[in-house]
Amino acid sequence: MRAVWHGIVDFVVGDDIWIAVAVLILLGVAAAAVHFGADAWWLLTAGVPVALWVSLRRALRTARRAA
Amino acid sequence: MSSPLRADGPPTISAARYRRGMTGNLLVFLGAALASAVEMVEALTIVLALGVTRGWRAPLQGAVAALVVLVVLVAALGPALEAVPIDVLRLIVGSLLLVFGLQWLRKAILRASGLKALHDENAAFAAEVAAAQAAGIAVGRDRYSVVIAFKSTLLEGLEVAFIVITLGANQGATAVAAVGAIVAFVAVVVIGIVVRKPLSRVPENTLKFTVGVMLTSFGTFWAGEGVGIDWPGDEASLAALIVLTVAWSLAFTRLLARTPKVVTA
Repeated sequence: MRAVWHGIVDFVVGDDIWIAVAVLILLGVAAAAVHFGADAWWLLTAGVPVALWVSLRRALRTARRAA
Repeated sequence: MSSPLRADGPPTISAARYRRGMTGNLLVFLGAALASAVEMVEALTIVLALGVTRGWRAPLQGAVAALVVLVVLVAALGPALEAVPIDVLRLIVGSLLLVFGLQWLRKAILRASGLKALHDENAAFAAEVAAAQAAGIAVGRDRYSVVIAFKSTLLEGLEVAFIVITLGANQGATAVAAVGAIVAFVAVVVIGIVVRKPLSRVPENTLKFTVGVMLTSFGTFWAGEGVGIDWPGDEASLAALIVLTVAWSLAFTRLLARTPKVVTA
């Protein structure tokens, strides 16, 4: 069961857990903004590339440390 | 079958909405087909290596068994997901697609900018041939080939099944997504049978980049709708999201390509 659970987590989370965490944070903030009546489409439009850029920088830092 | 654009029939849907639906279905078809092509090329490399080294019967049995499992999974889960309330479905599936799409994009950008080694089908083929030779000659049924072919086809196919189910269910077009995956599967298998070599000329990273852009855009749009966002222009903003995602992905690739190279496997 543990192997199956690890397999599912690896399948969903992938190489960098930051991406999954960032998506959860972005959607939480967007949901809160919508709840309070704000127009939140720009939040996801701008937040998604920022999340990926942070993940790419993390990959670059990890590779440099390993080299 | 009456066209929804006919003026003399009963009122159905507007021409603009019909066009948007067709565009959405076309994108679902393309997304499923491209994702399927990428994953099937990788599975084909392993099945080819096993077939060339140890004979064709056992690896084909393993691959077919895995395909049956995948078809059953899509057939069972696809329609079941379409029964889930659309907002809940869009939030859950949109979030998963967004995470998945960003992972594909991340890998494709790192490879395109030279920070990660490109996937080499010839090297993968050679490694699999060496492993198959080292496993020894089978007496009776070749369980090694059956298990390796089953596992590799199932693992590569699971990503495709996930994409087919989620793209299809959200758009209400599981059949369209499934047809896209089947078309790509047949194309890869036919080419594999003809050339009998790993398909190393397939621009895998470009395909991965394209699928990553589509999954990220669909995921952003649907997850946004799931949390209650009103996109400007409704479904038209999906096209704008795709254009924007291509633009920032290419910009990231260029920015990273300028950094000093540290290539990882």
